Amino acid sequence: MKQKTIFADLATHIGLLAYVSFLAFPLVWMVSTSFKSTGELYSGAVTIIPQIPTLEQYKTAVTEGMLLRSIWNSFTVGVLSTVITIAIALPSAYALSRFRSFMNRAVLGWILVTQIFPVILIIIPLYLILRSLLLSDSLTGLGVVYIVWNLPFVLWMLHGYIRTVPVELEEAAMIDGASRWNLVFRVLLPVLLPAIAASAIFAFISTWNEFFFALVFMKTPALGTLPVELARYTGMEGIARTGPLAASSVIASLPSLVLFAIMRKWFAGGLLAGSMKA
Amino acid sequence: MPVVLLVVIFSVLPLLRGIYLGFTDYRLGDPITFNGLKNYGQMLQDDFFWRSFRVGIIWTVVVTSGQIMLGLGLALLLERRVRFSSLYSVLILAPWAMPPIIRAIIWRQIYDVDAGVINATFQSLSFLDKPVNWLSSFEYAIPAVIIVGLWGEIPKAAVFLHAGLQSIPNDLYEAGQLDGANAFQRFRHITLPLLRPVLAGTISLSFIWNFNMFGMVWVLTQGGPGGLTRLPMLAAYEEAFRYGYVGYAAAIGNVMVVLISIAMFFYLRTQMRESTASEIVK
Amino acid sequence: MKLIETPNTTRLLPAVALLLLSVTTAYLLFSPAHRRSAQRDKMQFVCLAWQEEALAAYKSVVSDWNKLHPESEVEYIQGNWNSIQDYLVTGFETGDVADIIHYESSAIVDFGVRGYLEDLAPLISDELKTDIQEVGWASVRRPNGEFVGVPLLLESLIILFNRDHFAESGIMPPSLQHPWTWDEMRNAARALTKDTSGDGHIDRWGAGMGLRNSSNMILNLTIGFGGSYFRRENGAYVLRIGDNEKKLLSLLMEMLYQDRSMSTAGLGLSGPAMIPSFCSGKYSMLVSIGSWSRQQLTQNAPKGFRWGVLPPLKALTQQIGTSAQTLSIPKASTRKREAMAFIDFLANRDNMARVAAADWMVPARKSCLDLPKFQTTEDGWDVASRSAQYLAVGEWVGAPGYIEWKSRIANPIFQELFANRLAVDEAVKRIEEESNAVLRRYQQRDQRW
Repeated sequence: MKQKTIFADLATHIGLLAYVSFLAFPLVWMVSTSFKSTGELYSGAVTIIPQIPTLEQYKTAVTEGMLLRSIWNSFTVGVLSTVITIAIALPSAYALSRFRSFMNRAVLGWILVTQIFPVILIIIPLYLILRSLLLSDSLTGLGVVYIVWNLPFVLWMLHGYIRTVPVELEEAAMIDGASRWNLVFRVLLPVLLPAIAASAIFAFISTWNEFFFALVFMKTPALGTLPVELARYTGMEGIARTGPLAASSVIASLPSLVLFAIMRKWFAGGLLAGSMKA
Repeated sequence: MPVVLLVVIFSVLPLLRGIYLGFTDYRLGDPITFNGLKNYGQMLQDDFFWRSFRVGIIWTVVVTSGQIMLGLGLALLLERRVRFSSLYSVLILAPWAMPPIIRAIIWRQIYDVDAGVINATFQSLSFLDKPVNWLSSFEYAIPAVIIVGLWGEIPKAAVFLHAGLQSIPNDLYEAGQLDGANAFQRFRHITLPLLRPVLAGTISLSFIWNFNMFGMVWVLTQGGPGGLTRLPMLAAYEEAFRYGYVGYAAAIGNVMVVLISIAMFFYLRTQMRESTASEIVK
Repeated sequence: MKLIETPNTTRLLPAVALLLLSVTTAYLLFSPAHRRSAQRDKMQFVCLAWQEEALAAYKSVVSDWNKLHPESEVEYIQGNWNSIQDYLVTGFETGDVADIIHYESSAIVDFGVRGYLEDLAPLISDELKTDIQEVGWASVRRPNGEFVGVPLLLESLIILFNRDHFAESGIMPPSLQHPWTWDEMRNAARALTKDTSGDGHIDRWGAGMGLRNSSNMILNLTIGFGGSYFRRENGAYVLRIGDNEKKLLSLLMEMLYQDRSMSTAGLGLSGPAMIPSFCSGKYSMLVSIGSWSRQQLTQNAPKGFRWGVLPPLKALTQQIGTSAQTLSIPKASTRKREAMAFIDFLANRDNMARVAAADWMVPARKSCLDLPKFQTTEDGWDVASRSAQYLAVGEWVGAPGYIEWKSRIANPIFQELFANRLAVDEAVKRIEEESNAVLRRYQQRDQRW
């Protein structure tokens, strides 16, 4: 038995290493590029370790343009809109999966259409609506747009997860004398934590990386978000100032990585273990 | 609920306008005139539309099935909780952490003919004797772009499926083990059926998103070489923003909605039916 | 069971959500940086500069203006070449767009045709009109006499060469007085192509050319051969490919596949993207590259790398097509006179010279070209400036559907041709057929051109 586990563990490690090498390699390359001098980038040398490591790209990244400000903008919009999206989506997803009504079918239809129809084509009417509400060129307006446009897929995913949870769990809670919404939520929430974490991370990343809306809606430079700010390093005919771009991107990736590390423990589930027995 | 109001204003209204534009001959700078089904007639004869649609289907099917299978594999590996699991689970999210703009640019660097890692490594290992033009050769462009697509999408599938795996009660696995089922059988009869709603949700959403993929492919190839990688969204973008045919682009959007909705409808119907059946069997 | 005994949780949750919502809205609405200014007090100038020296130059011109004219302050907005088109399309459609727009003549003309731009003809001073080269005006003038912008900088396609390689092979670079013909360049490329490491594979190519999206470049170079692809017959645009147009295509194909003196790596790259490889010695010449890319060389080339610029190659003539970087004013702007005053300032002799030198491009004014900065032999400035006399505007400028033609028909077919999947005659036939179909469609619909 023990030998089997060792072998299985080894195989698992190898498998995970294979995945990680494939998935993390471009990140490594990006970090490596950010420490190379522009001269080295132009020398055509292909090495992972910079020949002469330098911080000049980081200096450019931080002093030119508005990198730190745009990170702050993106961060506030991202966190706030994600929190609100999840807060709205959770009860709605519950209603969607447990009840059947016309409203629910309409919602499911709306979810589908929002995901398929090319978003770039609705940008102009959306902008006009925002402007008439005095919300164009403001981070609030952008946040509202992100909430409304992240809602469909968060709803869809949570709806799927809730359907995975057996109804018996809630019925058991209700037998114990709980009102539907109140204690049922207290029961479902721990079970759904990994699902909520997954959806929240994904909603945040969508907002963090979103480019098009931010480009069109924000006219004031100080309100720019991160992706638009990064675009300043791309130039004509497909070439880019790869050095500062890589350095800015490394800085831009740090909040996401920190967030992943924090949320990681929410993924460790197993909270359902033993709860059926009661 | 006030939320419904917000949603209607910011989402439904613009969508309705977009859908309506698909029935007009709107060109930038022109007044809008309703032209019924003329756009769709034009589309039937439009070679470019059909070519991009075909590329879109190939791309979507390959990337979606690839990302789901590989993502599920990754999720199962993470499930086993070996040492360093926590480190692995953060590192696999690397593609997500990178801003979209830099993802395509770094991959372009990696694929670069003269100074790219792939050509340099393959040549030094003698897999290749001449550098290959990965992103602009007619033979390799599509696979090269698909690999980047998979790279970007596997974390998403892995995370969502992993979360789904978490909600399956451990007792069921223990019971299965007591009954003498091996790992493979446990996977087939416990994991898969219970994962079905999450799997269906992830597959359907990934299918839709992959079909609509735009940003990264645009930066990688701009639809080249020779239009080989011009996905439907790239075609719609060019029509609307480069040539100004917003009405026609909206019509393309409408057609995509209808076709994909039909596909989704049939797919999800089968999924829903099967999941209720398995609940009874349990 | 894990149950948290909290009373009234049902009412708490939505209450918390509501509180969160109002707090954030309040924060976002009232925190100073996030408040949208009801009316802009500054004019916005969207600028596409991205090379480091150019960024500094444009920004300093803007700050000079602001010091001189505090009542008409200009705000510098950083645009970028990849997303400016989207920004402008949405900006024009919604009416919220900058007051001064920096873009390129071939692309901005389209917006002029759609009626989004102010006709600058009545606003342009005589001094400006006479001092800017005729080719600059030709690139922004519509058939109906409207000027969609003021040309600031002219693009010039130059040839870079590696001095050390030339010296090694004993090749004398041509002088301004005696430029090379295309055949002479071809011969030089053949002589320069070597396998220096002796492993049986060529690692030094005589010539490199960025053929990724080559239609614009091909058209511009074909003018020198006497060809133009686009023609007007009976007032309508048609596309005809004759021997003049075919010469360049055949020559390039022969260099790629017969002589093997031109690297096929260029099929997937734009010219400037080949500069790192040029610096590492893979190419002895980079043919037809934008003159602005010299900045990349001066900043980033390894120490001791000796390079130079060749004068434009002679076919029938040394003419090359060009487009201008332009400054335009949208019709939607409410401050057109002030915007034009800023454009006048940016386009005056000293500022234009400053910006052209910083971006390594040819200034549009004749008086700028005479300045010592543009006559020095350093870094090929004299060659670049002298090439200005050979710049011409192609027949296709202003042709309806040119942009669609480029990305739908020309670029893909050229890509197939240069990948050796088509013979020259096949490619020519396909281009003619498909182009005329598109041109017909556009001209049927459109009387605006």
